[in-house]
Amino acid sequence: MGFSKIWVHGEASDGVVASITLELLAKARELAETVEVVVAGDADSIAAELGDHGASAVYSIGSLDNGLAGPRIASAIAEACSQGSGPDVLLCGTTYDGRDVAGRLSVKLDTPVITNVIDLKQDGERLLGHEPVFGGTKDVFTGTTAEGLDIFVVRPKSFVAESTGGDPASVSVLQVGDLGSTGTAVVKDQFVEESSGPRLDEANIVVSGGRGLGEADKYEMIEKLASLIKGAPGASRAIVDAGWVPYSYQVGQTGKVVKPTVYLACGISGATQHLVGMKGSANIIAINKDEEAPIFGIADLGIVGDVHKVLPKLIEALEAQ
Amino acid sequence: MKILVCVKRVPAPGARINVTEDGFEVDSTHLGFTTSPHEECAVEEAVQIAEVHDGEVTVITLGPEAAEEQLRYAASVGVNNLVLLPIDEVDWDPQRTADALTKAITEIEISEGAFDLILFGNESADSGGFQVGIRVSHQLGRPIVNGIKNIEISDSEVEAHREIDGGFEVYKLPLPAALGVKEGINLPRYPTMKGRLASKKVELKTLEFSAENGGQKRSKLHRPQEQVSETVILGTGPEAAPAIVDLLEELGVLQ
Repeated sequence: MGFSKIWVHGEASDGVVASITLELLAKARELAETVEVVVAGDADSIAAELGDHGASAVYSIGSLDNGLAGPRIASAIAEACSQGSGPDVLLCGTTYDGRDVAGRLSVKLDTPVITNVIDLKQDGERLLGHEPVFGGTKDVFTGTTAEGLDIFVVRPKSFVAESTGGDPASVSVLQVGDLGSTGTAVVKDQFVEESSGPRLDEANIVVSGGRGLGEADKYEMIEKLASLIKGAPGASRAIVDAGWVPYSYQVGQTGKVVKPTVYLACGISGATQHLVGMKGSANIIAINKDEEAPIFGIADLGIVGDVHKVLPKLIEALEAQ
Repeated sequence: MKILVCVKRVPAPGARINVTEDGFEVDSTHLGFTTSPHEECAVEEAVQIAEVHDGEVTVITLGPEAAEEQLRYAASVGVNNLVLLPIDEVDWDPQRTADALTKAITEIEISEGAFDLILFGNESADSGGFQVGIRVSHQLGRPIVNGIKNIEISDSEVEAHREIDGGFEVYKLPLPAALGVKEGINLPRYPTMKGRLASKKVELKTLEFSAENGGQKRSKLHRPQEQVSETVILGTGPEAAPAIVDLLEELGVLQ
């Protein structure tokens, strides 16, 4: 059957397309002739950006009215597939909604879903997903033997978004079927703290702190340092779980994947969980008092020393600049 | 209030994993196993909800016979009922696992009444597919929200906080419903000696069932090439700090 038509589950907020969607478009374009996007909400405001990244059409399921995107988009795609107008392959991002769409659609169509994919490769007429398992300590290539739609859930930063200068995507509507009680969860409220500085997953420099800081108050050094060099502060899972910093700071398998020019790991031992989220950084600098710490196995440069002594000196030196 | 928690027996996070000779399975000979961390928190959350709302907690797992260990542990921290869906292999794909769980839950609900709330871990610690909770809920026709860090139950609905970038969203779901819980929602208690002893007497129900393979074709497992860097040590102690500044300048990232 091959795959001539790929659909990408698109995500956007306030008229701005999420970078994961643009990344998926870049790969989809390499693999198939026809690349189209399915979104919830207003499609007109993002049609130009999607077209510029290689999508020829965008289908919207309309407004969510505070419901979740997952059940609705899955229903709409299943409907399209049953009418023969669906894609050969669906790419979703590893996000709350992406996983939700993929899981439900897989149930509806009785077709497998391949998750945690970091690369896609062509294997004859099919696609194989490259998935690292056990926190990146094992690699697996998975494809399906099933007929019908192939669904892949791809991790952020697996591909590089690239503008093609294409025309705006055409916009049309996709019908949502009856959801029954699966669609009854509604969002009531949202609380987001205003944050300053660059976003963790987009910053050119990331300064991360770990358990080696000793106590929650010491994280201030990380924030100070990050603001001095216009970087984003990050954290290991250990100190997020300990409640020192919010989850949004977490770098790693279950947090953010970052690929900055410089990654400065302060008092981070380098658990596999963490390494998975930052090993793609161009330059990794580690400060740790234990020269045997696994972080030195991946770092390009290191200082063997106590973060409580090294960081104040570093801050001082930067302030003197 | 009847609560069900679905848990998974997983290799201890951080363990070095070996592969069998044929390269298709994980060699579990020397592995330690535990309950996936998000699910340990889900069990704790269920026990806490049951304490407040006069509830009853059932924990179910699909896994090898040895997964009885994880079920007994749940009983030792206050879970009332244990259900094992025994399989011969170490692990099943999410599609097959979810099908089996859905059948088992349906069967239990027919004989013992519906669960008001089903808790899953946000994702398993080993394969991390984020699939089973979504699939089971969809098949049972119940709403589910994942990434949950706070749960409030009222008469006919549940309010739950989903963690998002820089904050949280508040969701409302009519009961019966399902939630995917994240580590950090609570601090799981340690079992008491009394709890440990009592856990041995809790009845373990074993359900036989069948479910077809989901059609995933796994090629060989292989260890990725370890990314090893030759770390250049810039220095030792605070005196080395200025070297980092020089380096940042060299890289041109200082503005």
